[in-house]
Amino acid sequence: MSAATLSSRSSRRPRAIEAGLLWHQIRYEQLSFWRNTQNAVFTFAFPVVFMTVLGFLMRGGTASSYFYGRTPVAYYMPTIAALSVIGTCYGQLAVVLAMRRQDGILKRVRATPLPAGLYFLGLLAHCLVVAVTDVALIIGIGALFGAPLPAHWMALAVTLAVGAACFCGLGVAVASLVRNAEAAPAVVQLVLFPLLFLSGTYLPIHSAALNSVAGMLPIRPFNQALLAALTGPGLDWTHLAVLAGWGIVGAVVGVRRFRWNPRPE
Amino acid sequence: MRRELTLPAPGPAGAGRPGQAGPSPAVPPPALTADGLRKSYGQVQAVREVSFTVQPGEIFALLGPNGAGKTTTLEILEGFRTADAGRVAVLGIDPADRARGREFREQIGVVLQDIAVEPYLTVRETIARNAGYYPRPRDVDEVIGLAGLTGLERRKVRKLSGGQKRRLDLALGVVGGPRLLFLDEPTTGFDPAARQEAWATIRALRDAGTTILLTTHYMEEAQELADRVAVMARGRIVAQGPPDRIGGRDTALTRISFALPDGCPAADLPPGVTGLAAADDGLVTVDAAEPTAVLHQLTGWALGRGTVLRQLTVERPSLEDIYLRLTAPDRAAGQEGSTR
Repeated sequence: MSAATLSSRSSRRPRAIEAGLLWHQIRYEQLSFWRNTQNAVFTFAFPVVFMTVLGFLMRGGTASSYFYGRTPVAYYMPTIAALSVIGTCYGQLAVVLAMRRQDGILKRVRATPLPAGLYFLGLLAHCLVVAVTDVALIIGIGALFGAPLPAHWMALAVTLAVGAACFCGLGVAVASLVRNAEAAPAVVQLVLFPLLFLSGTYLPIHSAALNSVAGMLPIRPFNQALLAALTGPGLDWTHLAVLAGWGIVGAVVGVRRFRWNPRPE
Repeated sequence: MRRELTLPAPGPAGAGRPGQAGPSPAVPPPALTADGLRKSYGQVQAVREVSFTVQPGEIFALLGPNGAGKTTTLEILEGFRTADAGRVAVLGIDPADRARGREFREQIGVVLQDIAVEPYLTVRETIARNAGYYPRPRDVDEVIGLAGLTGLERRKVRKLSGGQKRRLDLALGVVGGPRLLFLDEPTTGFDPAARQEAWATIRALRDAGTTILLTTHYMEEAQELADRVAVMARGRIVAQGPPDRIGGRDTALTRISFALPDGCPAADLPPGVTGLAAADDGLVTVDAAEPTAVLHQLTGWALGRGTVLRQLTVERPSLEDIYLRLTAPDRAAGQEGSTR
């Protein structure tokens, strides 16, 4: 078997083929997700129920400095939207990956020629679809309770894309670090829960010290960037840059530490 | 269940890509070469010294007790683990070479030991999804027939029985039209009928040109399927060869056994037989290098006495006898390690 023959069959493929393969993968990830009806319903029910409850509690509230000059519903709309994106891209992705690894499904994916990058892009696209649907539902419900429609659609799209990618990266990183699937939900919650409070998701924080700390961590920048996109002033480059930084950290840890095999070397 | 078991050859193997032939076209290069493989997990030496080759179009079986290192060896060859030492070439590629990982996996099929398939797609969707990963996949319906999943195409994977999931696993292993297929204990837990069907499938794949490397605990399976077998014990290959000749099976003594006729002491047996005989509980066994003369004497003696030899059997050692002998030191030392 001559080396020349083999190197001519190198693994570089035309872009059209790779794009087709990515589309193939996205389609089947989606199909698999929607077929698990119970999971799909609850994925969307959570933010819908949460936003509706908050809407009933807070409707008619007037704009105040406590909510940074916004009405309560207008404040909670972006933070709950952020929460749902984080839940899907970070929380669910980490748990799903840890489970797929433990069940030996990732090992089987690795046994096929599907490039790892395309597998992860397929998951990212899936998370993005779910995140966009979640955010659309929350904006719709917010509008029912008197919140204004998004002021900057382009800023919203960019913020969502950066946020989803960032939290997917962190989700993959956590999935790479946890040892077994049973521990994954607990690890995810442990990191998430205090950070959500600290970042003003449930109540606005008016401590400059706390905010400067939270501003370095991923959740508050996402809240602030979504707030800016939904109710002005628009694109919030500073916070998006922090998000992108965290996304890169997550992706690097994920790529370095990711295991396909359920049993460690 | 009626199944069509004649298969078109998978693209790469049957088509014989131009320019593939090596320097001597008469002797094709081995499909797989393992040379001096070693692998340790911490203090445990799972694989100590493993060397073998698999020829194109051959079914090669790795036998051995749990913890012998079969699965670790297989996982090195499949590219899931890297050996600590040794050289591996699978279809001319080093499985640890990441740069050629995709090219490598396009040409191999892997059926792992544990069943694992995503639960929510149907059988057909699952196979079609994996078919899309390969440049020259087999036809999805052909694979469904081959794996014996006809009639289950629209069933959700989570509703399949264990045996059906195993067949789906096999379908996913062959859908890419692999030149080399790895099967890790392909029929463990199957009932006898299902095992026969799986064997027919594996033979059909071989007949279509697929090279197959399998591990098994079942001697019968190795005897039925394998062109050559290697017996592993404690991380080493202790014997290899065709199942009929391994461990000196073809030159081993032939065992003749029969029940001693009533009222006939063992001393009355013909002289050519008594020297070799061992009587135990009325059953006499004779181990003969050349059984023809011994049998002639024995049956002549019985006919002359007007008696019959009840329970007369003539047998060569089975593959299982040889296997048990080869792995006896391993069992005596106690089994170490678990299946990995």
